[in-house]
Amino acid sequence: MNPQSRTKHIVCPVSEIPPGHRKIVTINGRSIGIFNIDGQYHAIRNACPHQRAPLCMGKVTGTSTSTKPGKYQWGKDGQIIRCPWHNWEFDLTTGKSVFNPNQVRIKHYDVTTEATSNQTKSSCHVETNYSEPELEKYDVGIEQMMVVIQI
Amino acid sequence: MPPSEQPINELPTLAQTSLSLIDTDVHTALNHMDELKPYLPAYYRNLTLDLPGRAGFLSPIGVQRQDAIPEEGGIPGSSVSMMQKQLLDAYQMDYAILNDSSMLGISVHADANYAAVLARAYNDYFAENWLEKDPRILGCVLIAHNNPTEAAKEIKRIGGHRKIVQVIMSSASRSPLGERQYWPIYDAACEMNLPVAVHPGAECSGVANPFTAGFPTSYFEWHNNLSQNYMCQLNSMICQGVFNQFPNLKLVCIEGGIGWLPHLMWRMDKNWKALRFTVPWLDRQPSQCILEHVRLTTQPIEEPENRQHLLQILEMVHAEKTVMFSSDYPHWDGDCPVHGLPRLPEAMKQAIMFGNAQALYNL
Ligand code: FES
Repeated sequence: MNPQSRTKHIVCPVSEIPPGHRKIVTINGRSIGIFNIDGQYHAIRNACPHQRAPLCMGKVTGTSTSTKPGKYQWGKDGQIIRCPWHNWEFDLTTGKSVFNPNQVRIKHYDVTTEATSNQTKSSCHVETNYSEPELEKYDVGIEQMMVVIQI
Repeated sequence: MPPSEQPINELPTLAQTSLSLIDTDVHTALNHMDELKPYLPAYYRNLTLDLPGRAGFLSPIGVQRQDAIPEEGGIPGSSVSMMQKQLLDAYQMDYAILNDSSMLGISVHADANYAAVLARAYNDYFAENWLEKDPRILGCVLIAHNNPTEAAKEIKRIGGHRKIVQVIMSSASRSPLGERQYWPIYDAACEMNLPVAVHPGAECSGVANPFTAGFPTSYFEWHNNLSQNYMCQLNSMICQGVFNQFPNLKLVCIEGGIGWLPHLMWRMDKNWKALRFTVPWLDRQPSQCILEHVRLTTQPIEEPENRQHLLQILEMVHAEKTVMFSSDYPHWDGDCPVHGLPRLPEAMKQAIMFGNAQALYNL
């Protein structure tokens, strides 16, 4: 596989990342987290731009906005990840930080789902390093919806 | 000579000429206060052990790093093996100086007898459960500064342990740390040849004072104020002549920041020229006294928009003599040994990453 070109990587069956869950995988030596937010998949690099913490290990939460001092409005619930070290907030759907969205970002990758037969299983080069079910869990021979990431 | 009396610099550890990284602020944690019970006298074993809490502004994001939960369970900081893996091995540290910052709250407990008993129990717990687990682990004598007589006794009781390198106490207090009531602590520390470190966390808890302007309203506001308290404490110790009374005393300001120090030094020097006669024991510029007696740790390092400005501040405080690296592992606001500091001039880098700690702690 040529690491220079943008390539599709089949990660796992969709059933392995249900809504509200995540999976951290290594693709071409890069640690990447894939998150399911209400049925939509998003992926970001697992290395915080601040001090390189494993960002994808952080808490998925929402964030607050305000119209005037003393007023809080909670929003983007389930869409914000906080770095496990210094708690910088990033929007999982864009990779942009909350405090400085235009200049501080985490690399965000496109994720799709595709129907794929089990033959693709052998061409999958993703090593998982997160304690989630292994690829072997799905039925051989049945067409599966797979999570696919473009890198 | 029993091992506990052997000086640290004679320990069979790493080659002493090849140090590269000493971490001066690493945190252990008790999973539960009851872990101290076996080390307490009978009466205290029957109490519900607790420390004074903060009113209304606990950290909403917790204090511990979420990726530092030990594999075997428990809270971050409770596992030797997790600390070895995530810190000591990962960054090839030569030494790490450990303390449990939540225990510092004993100094602002209303009951100073209880505080002293807890300090003693904790030191025995720590010696048994941490100090001997890894040659890179060094420790502190925890004291309760609200009970200076007992604190001095505790420093003399356990301060001679070969792996204990300093006294540690809360930077929060009911009255400023330069006052004479605290002097037995400084006297004992000098007798045992140990620096005295202060560490934040108990500000506004228990019987501690609020910050100078009053109580903050959130953890954010509280945390931003911590360096202000360091200014007050250092100012008190200088003005009351602590370092004139104890010329061998070294003060380590852990986790209090650095950027405030140039301002304080220059303001003190300026005022001293006119008002020296009110503190005639100050026989030289306050800044000279500070640079000789005070050491600061890096975390949480200031992160100015232009990182060159931090280098300028490090120059202003003579960081090549006064600043020591600290990670604060495993707390949320810790700094990574590799990515936490900006690129530094080589000599200053070596001094900060290990040289100043090596000299101060005689490693
Ligand atoms: S490393 Fe992620 S916020 Fe600091």
